[in-house]
Amino acid sequence: MSRGDQGIEVAGLHKDYRVHRRKSGMLNTVRSIFHRTYETVPAVRDLSFTIEPGERVGFLGPNGAGKTTTLKILAGLLHPTAGRVVVAGHEPRLREHRFLKRITLVMGQKQQLIWDLPPVDTFSQNRAIYDLSRASFDATLKELDELLGISAIAEKPTRQLSLGERMKCELAAALLHRPDVLFLDEPTIGLDVSMQLAVRDFIRAYNERTGATTLLTSHYMDDVAALCPRVIVIDKGRLRYDGALGKLVEKIRPDKAIVLRYAHRPDRAALERIGTVTECDDAKAVVRVARPDLREAVANLLLDPELSDLTIEDPPLEEVLRELFAQSAAESA
Amino acid sequence: MRRYLRLLLLQLRMSIALGAQYRWDFLTQGGLSLVWTVLGLVPLYVALHNRPAVAGWTYEQALVVVGWFTMLKGILDGAVNPSLVLVVEHIRKGTLDFVLMKPADAQFLVSTARFEPWRAIDLFAGVGILVWTFRLMGTAPSLAAIAVSTLLLAVAVTVLYSMWIAAIAAAFWVVRLDNLSYLMSSLFDFGRWPVSIFKGAVRLFFTFVVPIALMTTYPAEALLGRLEPARAWLGIGGALVFALTGRFVFTRAIGRYTSASS
Amino acid sequence: MRILSAYPTLLRIGFANAVAYRTEMLVWMLTMTMPFVSLALWSAVAESVPVGRFDQKSFVAYFLATIVVRQLCGAWVVWELIQEIKSGTLTSRLLKPIHPLVVYSADNIAAIPLRALFAAPLALIGITSGGTALPHEPHRVVALFLSLFGAWFITFFVMVIIGCLSFFMESSASIFDIWIACFMILSGYLVPLELFPSWVRGVAEVLPFRYTLGFPVEILIGMSSDAAIARGLVIQLAYGCGSAAMALALWRSGVRRFGAFGG
Repeated sequence: MSRGDQGIEVAGLHKDYRVHRRKSGMLNTVRSIFHRTYETVPAVRDLSFTIEPGERVGFLGPNGAGKTTTLKILAGLLHPTAGRVVVAGHEPRLREHRFLKRITLVMGQKQQLIWDLPPVDTFSQNRAIYDLSRASFDATLKELDELLGISAIAEKPTRQLSLGERMKCELAAALLHRPDVLFLDEPTIGLDVSMQLAVRDFIRAYNERTGATTLLTSHYMDDVAALCPRVIVIDKGRLRYDGALGKLVEKIRPDKAIVLRYAHRPDRAALERIGTVTECDDAKAVVRVARPDLREAVANLLLDPELSDLTIEDPPLEEVLRELFAQSAAESA
Repeated sequence: MRRYLRLLLLQLRMSIALGAQYRWDFLTQGGLSLVWTVLGLVPLYVALHNRPAVAGWTYEQALVVVGWFTMLKGILDGAVNPSLVLVVEHIRKGTLDFVLMKPADAQFLVSTARFEPWRAIDLFAGVGILVWTFRLMGTAPSLAAIAVSTLLLAVAVTVLYSMWIAAIAAAFWVVRLDNLSYLMSSLFDFGRWPVSIFKGAVRLFFTFVVPIALMTTYPAEALLGRLEPARAWLGIGGALVFALTGRFVFTRAIGRYTSASS
Repeated sequence: MRILSAYPTLLRIGFANAVAYRTEMLVWMLTMTMPFVSLALWSAVAESVPVGRFDQKSFVAYFLATIVVRQLCGAWVVWELIQEIKSGTLTSRLLKPIHPLVVYSADNIAAIPLRALFAAPLALIGITSGGTALPHEPHRVVALFLSLFGAWFITFFVMVIIGCLSFFMESSASIFDIWIACFMILSGYLVPLELFPSWVRGVAEVLPFRYTLGFPVEILIGMSSDAAIARGLVIQLAYGCGSAAMALALWRSGVRRFGAFGG
């Protein structure tokens, strides 16, 4: 299995949907029996990027941005309207069996596990479908069990498992055939915090162990921040940013937040001389300061004897992205 | 090829495992099939028992058609319908994507997803009806007749299956399709009558569009030893046409599939 | 009453709903015209010798009337209910300040004119041109409308009952299959009840199936005596009240259980 062609190449991707639009009212309702008008809704516009084998990349964007559409096009589930797409050396939309054996898709909230039967039955089914030898199947299952801990739960009917247990088995079922490319669509949605962490750790460990190219969509910033050194931000179907997450933060919000705690009520006026005060109440204040001025600002703040605690934080990712999308909205306006 | 056979056996085994999970369903469905089969004989009894033959069919001869119908119904309800129901549900829940991600022929996966093995009761009931009817008539079919009619049964299954696949393909476009399976069952139900009873446009419809003629009347005629060979060839040819059309429609539908949002 | 003022809007939305799925509507209409095939069948059977008192013309009238009644009294709430219970989407209906059954019934009634639009007038023309007179004495006309409403009423509430069973079991779709199987034989849908052996006729007169189809059909084509009509209306009323009461009771306890176990 050559490792060279595990990458993903997308050039000028377009995807349009046809949607039926109808105004309300009785007359329009009746009219729609006989004649329907369809609108073309662009879901993805002129998207281009390249992903190297073994990378972990996150797709970020608000709901309806086109992340899931892009992912599905890469997986071969949707046909692009225009543009070039190459995944692991294949054109996804042709859905060649050799291609399908090298990729896998995990969708949060939707599962491929058979509901009424235990996960082991789904595992057997996948073994037959992917034509896995007994030996490699057993070995892979053992490895996945080490990482996920599913041997205890895999023999209970799926419907009796908790959401977290189901997700673990779902991941196992999706990885039995040792794919080179992983597509994960909102994998942690609906999971509790500890489960989210477990899934994240697993994905990172799996990627590091096997070198499988991993693509993740999420609107949980934490997922992406923790897992993906590189992010691709999509908004309204267009590429907004492609690169390291840290650099994005620097570019959009090149300031830091200093969180201050005092014994008594802080002096707002004094703080405002140092930077922008975003919060100021009984014992806590938050001051935003541009990076270059950080050192001086901190030095000044530390002079205050009433100060009991000082932390320097990056602005929350949500805010950064909101800023980014606001910028893009202004651009397109 | 061997892989697909292995997969088929696996799917069958899983359906049986599922059936064991829902034992109550197993019993009621089996019992219900039998009751429905018996009740279905009543209209026939009213129409033909101790009455003149209609369009060349006496009561006993029409019973042969019913026998084949029952067998075919067993195959339809046990091997074809359950998968259709499952696919429509997949589309509704958006999990059909998983089927399409598998490196196996989508039509095969979709068609073998679920079986209901206890419908085999209908198969036995059908054979039972045939045996009983020939006892009534006091004759027995020749071996050649049995061979031809069995072949035509295979033809019938192929045609029926192709129709369902085309219906599943339609489900890709039009998501709410519970009624389509109901419509097809209702139309298929007329297969318990010999097709020659119908006249004109209705008979054409039931010969070429929803070919119950092919599915129940021809095998019955073969068993009674009165099928013209030309008809048999027509049947085989028709099955091929249906199979190819079904496959074509299904492949096109997969091509145009847009999954439910998110 | 709030329900009365909300009903027109509910009807309008129900209509829009019915129209949204054109193909489904078409399929439903086609299903409802199955009796045309029965008509062809029994006309052929009765070609030489009438079956009972039914000759060809009577069969034609009978099955055309079946189409009319089926179109006007059709309900499909059982599938909606089962689906919404299984998927949990019933919750959003339960949170609205209006009883879900009111909304379901509005959906149903609103869709009827549209669905009956094509087949029913044609069938009615067919009946009269064949020589059968539609009821014209005022008391008969009233009885006809009562029986049509009664037929829909019973169908709707029996469907609610069967749908509610999904609160308590995995899926009551199989129970509905049993109902439909019995309906086809014992309501007069496939064969006029008159033509059955007498013991089957007796059973059919007691069971509710006849009152969802056969009874209005017989009134429509003038096949029943006044006494029989009166008797039938009483039984229909009894089944109507009974099914509605059982449906509401089952609904209440089902919803309680639904809330306890979550959607």
